[in-house]
Amino acid sequence: MTTSTKKKGNVRVLTRISSIALFFILFAFIFAKFVSPYDPTELAVAPPFSSPSWAHFFGTDELGRDSFSRSLYGGRITVLISILAATVALFLGTIWGFAAGIFKGWLDEVLMRTADAMMAIPALLFALVCISGLGASFVSLTLVAGILLSPSTARMARSALLVEISTDYFTAGIASGLSRWKLIWNEVMPNVASQLLVQFSINAASAVMLEAALSFIGLGVQPPSASLGTLILQGYAKIYNSYWYVLFPSLLVVLIILLFNAIAENMRISMESDKSSS
Amino acid sequence: MSAQTAIQTTDLTKTYSGARGEVIALNKASFTVEQGKTLALVGESGSGKTTVARLVLGLVPPTDGEVSILGQEISKLKEREMRSLRRDIQVVQQNPYSQLNRRHTVKRIVETPLKAFKEGKPAERNDRIVEMLEAVGLDAAYLRRRPHELSGGQCQRVAIARALVLNPKILILDEAVSALDVSVRAQVLNLLKSLQRERNLTYLFITHDLGVARYIADDIAVMFRGKIVEKGSREEVFEIPKHHYTKNLISSVPLAEPQEKSTKPKTIANLPNPNPSDACAYRSRCERGQVETECVSKVLVPNSNKSHQWLCHFPLNERI
Amino acid sequence: MNTGLQVRNLSVSVPTTSGQRLAVDNISFDLPKGKSIALVGESGSGKSLTAYALMRLLRAPVQIEGGEVVLNGELISNLTPQEFRKIRGGKIGMVYQDPMSALNPLMKIGKQIVESILAHSDIEKNAAKKRAIQLLQEVGIPAAEDSFNAYPFEFSGGMLQRVVIAMALSGNPEILIADEATTALDVTTQSRVLNLISQLAYDRGLSVLLITHDLGVAAQFADELVVMYAGKIVEYGEIRGIFSKPLHPYTQALLESRCDYTIDFTKPINTILGQPPKPENRTSGCAFAPRCKFKEDICESNDPRLESVLHRSVACLRVNEINALSGRE
Repeated sequence: MTTSTKKKGNVRVLTRISSIALFFILFAFIFAKFVSPYDPTELAVAPPFSSPSWAHFFGTDELGRDSFSRSLYGGRITVLISILAATVALFLGTIWGFAAGIFKGWLDEVLMRTADAMMAIPALLFALVCISGLGASFVSLTLVAGILLSPSTARMARSALLVEISTDYFTAGIASGLSRWKLIWNEVMPNVASQLLVQFSINAASAVMLEAALSFIGLGVQPPSASLGTLILQGYAKIYNSYWYVLFPSLLVVLIILLFNAIAENMRISMESDKSSS
Repeated sequence: MSAQTAIQTTDLTKTYSGARGEVIALNKASFTVEQGKTLALVGESGSGKTTVARLVLGLVPPTDGEVSILGQEISKLKEREMRSLRRDIQVVQQNPYSQLNRRHTVKRIVETPLKAFKEGKPAERNDRIVEMLEAVGLDAAYLRRRPHELSGGQCQRVAIARALVLNPKILILDEAVSALDVSVRAQVLNLLKSLQRERNLTYLFITHDLGVARYIADDIAVMFRGKIVEKGSREEVFEIPKHHYTKNLISSVPLAEPQEKSTKPKTIANLPNPNPSDACAYRSRCERGQVETECVSKVLVPNSNKSHQWLCHFPLNERI
Repeated sequence: MNTGLQVRNLSVSVPTTSGQRLAVDNISFDLPKGKSIALVGESGSGKSLTAYALMRLLRAPVQIEGGEVVLNGELISNLTPQEFRKIRGGKIGMVYQDPMSALNPLMKIGKQIVESILAHSDIEKNAAKKRAIQLLQEVGIPAAEDSFNAYPFEFSGGMLQRVVIAMALSGNPEILIADEATTALDVTTQSRVLNLISQLAYDRGLSVLLITHDLGVAAQFADELVVMYAGKIVEYGEIRGIFSKPLHPYTQALLESRCDYTIDFTKPINTILGQPPKPENRTSGCAFAPRCKFKEDICESNDPRLESVLHRSVACLRVNEINALSGRE
């Protein structure tokens, strides 16, 4: 096998491993009820601040609750928010970018300069202001994160669209009698779908980061629900007593972000190699 | 204008405003193509021939002038009205691979126009598609293949099949054989000629290749910097070219007949840029134009000799 | 000693769906000093790969599988990459098809030529600048002193190609490789650029390797012709001889299928069907056999070798019968 087919093989293996790992983690989160050994709200299942053991993988928190179970439930919230936010960004961003690319002219200018302006504002600041105004909740977090992530999606969607519109086969389609809309739906969308998927994965990773950051400063989901960010916040105060309280949720956050990014990067690489081989 | 006219343009003009000011891509081009005939538009880069294709297909509106397809003036039509005309005028482009959607099968590619105009039921469509593929020399086994599995020549045949599946009257061929190997080019040219005979098609053949133009066309229009500088039957243009550019084009083509390697000096200097203020855009490159002041100032009007037309104050008068 | 370039048994492999396969298969030819050879073939013939192999510009997974290249009696195919860098752009210069991609769009062309000069000679910057301006004049760029400070986007295609030629000459080459150097140019510009290359070759005693698919270009500008098909040489010899009496069926077919303004437009063009085989599909026997009208059983079982016929080399098992030769020519 030559070096590049080896590389491609490596890429595919990596994507597969990353996807399977992420899938397991997500599975654990979604089915937290069945996977978690303890009820996360049950108090005093063990002495508070017990260190990690076989009974309690991540130890216990200040109220004696099992940290592993809390992490599972917390992870569920974090991941749900990030995937939903990425979905919001996908829809909003695609419509935004496509509208700019299809209608061109002044609409294009307005839409794209708005996107530029939004991207120039520091994300956390923007989110802070919005959440403070809207109040912190699952829904507001998802929407704000989604809106924050749409301008970059819009930029990507617009340029992907413009590339496809200038191709010979698009011209051939118009000459065949198809309307522009039908062409965009039938021929352009499938060709840009993989790029949009990559963007989705990247956005999900960014959303995890954003949610964790917001929860860390207290603007995330409110008790009794706790996301990974909230756990980090709570554990941070106790870092000298029981480092494991803050360590494990943080590691989980890092892991999830890395996995989302790995999937995105590997999808991108396999897309590129497909293009060059054909 | 008789009912026999497939395409007619009158003073067709297209201007683009770019970063460096206005560019006149096409300047008062007028020509007629009779049904069942072929007109070749020959020109180099910047001649405006590609612009003609886009205007005739209704992809962009002209800045001035008119285009009529089968008797109907199209420059003021709305997209919806234009779409119904598209049944009768189709295109085959230069790049065999990029004019086909890389994700679609051959069957889906050829079926697209049928679907667009809602023609026939799926079973009838399938028969029609197979019939079309056979007409271009591909058998039914190609239905499931995708463009990247085919050679350049095969892709071009698929593009031709797609263009003809609606039984159009006119085919615009925009450098349709330029990207093909020599032997494949010959195959496709033979195919195009026989298809034209069988189906009484009208061809507007755009090319930079004089040999191809002469082989396939009944009439030839030579373009330079947006203007048609000479127009006539293929015999007239090749045997008695009137415009200096036409003669230069013909003599620039290297023929596959090796000659004595002479040591006499050949022209190596770069071609001078045309001067926009000259009345004749070709003046700065023309031996005659460089010595005649009329070529700088006197406005050009087409001269003609029945079917042969040229845009030159001092046309050539020799048989070559 | 300047004996030109000799290529012996050069092979290049490419990755395919069934593993690494030869796209250039054991080819050999000579490029004598002051002569020009045209390497002619259709897509997949391996002609461009040959040029890139000579310049060692191939990148894995495409790689040279074997062969020797001798320049002026010295073996250059076994030089280390550092040593070869003196040859590439120095003794051997190359002009590519697309001038836009051969030049850095963000750097003035004068600076790029000076860079190239300094890489291959020990003169100091001012002298290099003078030489660059001289080169620009030599290739016919008007107002060379002003053009020195211009950027690539200010030039037309033909002018840019002249700049690229100037760069190729900056290392004082003995060999010039022109890889489809005029394919992207207008025909009127093409004839001038080719004339320029001829003139420069004559003035400087260069050998030129002209890679092209255009038989007309080969006929007008080359002394000898190498016809390639599916990675192999099928006919090789003095060009006028080949054009007046082509011996290999592929060469004959190539000449018959051309479409220039001298052919008879009332008849279909006499061409061959099908297309050349891809590297992964090449089998034993003659690669051209499936498309050859003279094919017999022997053509599919035996590999043809280059043999000397009529003062040239032809790789065809039936060459004598097809051309009604007695076999003693």
